[in-house]
Amino acid sequence: MEKKTEKILDLFRSELIVVNVGPKSFADVLEKQGFETLQVDYKPAAGGDRRMMEMLEYLGGY
Amino acid sequence: MAVYYKIIKDHYIDSLETLAQTTKLCDQPGIETGYVGMATQTFKDIVSEIGLACDQILAASEGDYVVAAKADTEEAFEKALKAISESASGASSKTRQTYLTVEQAASARPQANLCQISVPGEFALDVAKRALNAGMHLCVFSNNVPLEDEREMKELAREKGLLCMGPDCGVANINGSALVLSSIVNRGPFGIIGASGTGIQHVTAMLHEAGSGVSQAIGAGGNDIKEQVGGITMLMGIDALEEDPETKYLILIARKPAPSVLEKMLERLRSCRKPRVVYFMGCDRKAIEDTGSIYAGNLDECGERALELAGLACSLESEEEILALARKEAEGFAREQKYLRGAYSGGTYMDEAMRVMVDKIGPIWSNAPLEEAWRLEDSLKPRENACIDYGEEEFTLGRPHPAIDAGIRRPAILKEAADPEVAVITLDFILTPPGHPDPAGFVVPDIIKAQEMARERGGKLVFIASLLGTTADYQDIRLQEKKLRDAGAIVCRTNYRAALLASEIIRLIREKA
Repeated sequence: MEKKTEKILDLFRSELIVVNVGPKSFADVLEKQGFETLQVDYKPAAGGDRRMMEMLEYLGGY
Repeated sequence: MAVYYKIIKDHYIDSLETLAQTTKLCDQPGIETGYVGMATQTFKDIVSEIGLACDQILAASEGDYVVAAKADTEEAFEKALKAISESASGASSKTRQTYLTVEQAASARPQANLCQISVPGEFALDVAKRALNAGMHLCVFSNNVPLEDEREMKELAREKGLLCMGPDCGVANINGSALVLSSIVNRGPFGIIGASGTGIQHVTAMLHEAGSGVSQAIGAGGNDIKEQVGGITMLMGIDALEEDPETKYLILIARKPAPSVLEKMLERLRSCRKPRVVYFMGCDRKAIEDTGSIYAGNLDECGERALELAGLACSLESEEEILALARKEAEGFAREQKYLRGAYSGGTYMDEAMRVMVDKIGPIWSNAPLEEAWRLEDSLKPRENACIDYGEEEFTLGRPHPAIDAGIRRPAILKEAADPEVAVITLDFILTPPGHPDPAGFVVPDIIKAQEMARERGGKLVFIASLLGTTADYQDIRLQEKKLRDAGAIVCRTNYRAALLASEIIRLIREKA
């Protein structure tokens, strides 16, 4: 039986390849550090100011 | 000097990118002030406030991209536009393929092994499930994710044996990377599992500065230790790092876990085979020590105890050194100067600072106070000894966090300096790869001016700063420290020490009076 930590240890042993869903800048800084990224363009639904506000709101959560 | 603008219809640029463009725009020759963004109501409010509004901008719709600036000439504005568009295309890899869904990206690159998710909280679960089903580990930066959604994504991750960092995970270092807002740090023997972004960044930076580093730093997200989530990620992190051959020592950092979660963690720690330091804020020392773990009572101690495990030390100022410096600095104030003001960009740091200060000088007024009775009615009108967290929603609505958008806190410096009763101002600076390229340099002119204002009144103003970051960060912590010192500020090695120095100066002023 596969150990429950096996997939996580696999991640630690592998080259990190990141799929970035959200602001491209987060992918840019990973590429600047030498990591491969793939960008999924997340777009807020058209015409929803509420959603735009939420899009920005998550940035407040550091 | 006139206002110029450019509007591109239906052109979406995310908020981090528009912020970077605003910074670039304001740096261009011939530009007095400028602002870039999507034409939302918040954007319109801001441009109106800073005198850049015009009918065309106010009539633009939310899907429109706007650059507005007060410029010497139209030519200067055109040149600035060219500069920001060049920097935008240079920053974003031209060759990077973009995809519409997680599934498309995963099938294009089946080796992709981590999905970094920063979408509005209510949509995070949907994206997370797609990524988990595609076999990827997660780093979820989104916040405001409902707790039941967090539980669901973490249970699914656990079932699949995948790591779910976050939601609300701002700091994680996996395989040598600095994800989201983490500092760039060396690799080394310390494996970290934390439910506090600032806490993880603080300790990883200490390890780096002492010449060591991290094997992996796993951010669980602040809610992981709540009853409803049950510490799923913290516990999986301990299991994984205990098995990881590169990890020799473990460090656990969190606010105090909920009772049932704490019990599970203590039980797990009792059987842990690796040496470990545990800092659970406000948690009983004996409970931690009874598990065979090393107890830390604050973030500085957590880093120090960990380094001792590896036979290393970090050069933090001793308490005696700080008290001696306070005695020296407590001279030369005008008679009415007796209070300190803290302008913080991080909530965790402000909380830590206020706990130090209150022991020395009593109540600290705040917009996020230690006790409800000390809550400021108006955050823009601080009184007596006060600390303001500029990362609170009242300041960040429609803008990124001050760790990224240094402009949010900037006005505080001259405002506090204009108050003749203020003697000491504390400032924290958090370095992060997507953050402001020069956060210290950005406020240096204000620090110099503030000190001049105090001297003209016959007193002096003491600025005490602390910086969170490393020499590997793009802003370079040494360079940032130097800029602040050259401007006359005192730079302490840590936030805790900055708070100790600031409150001791105020205590001495009070004693003399």
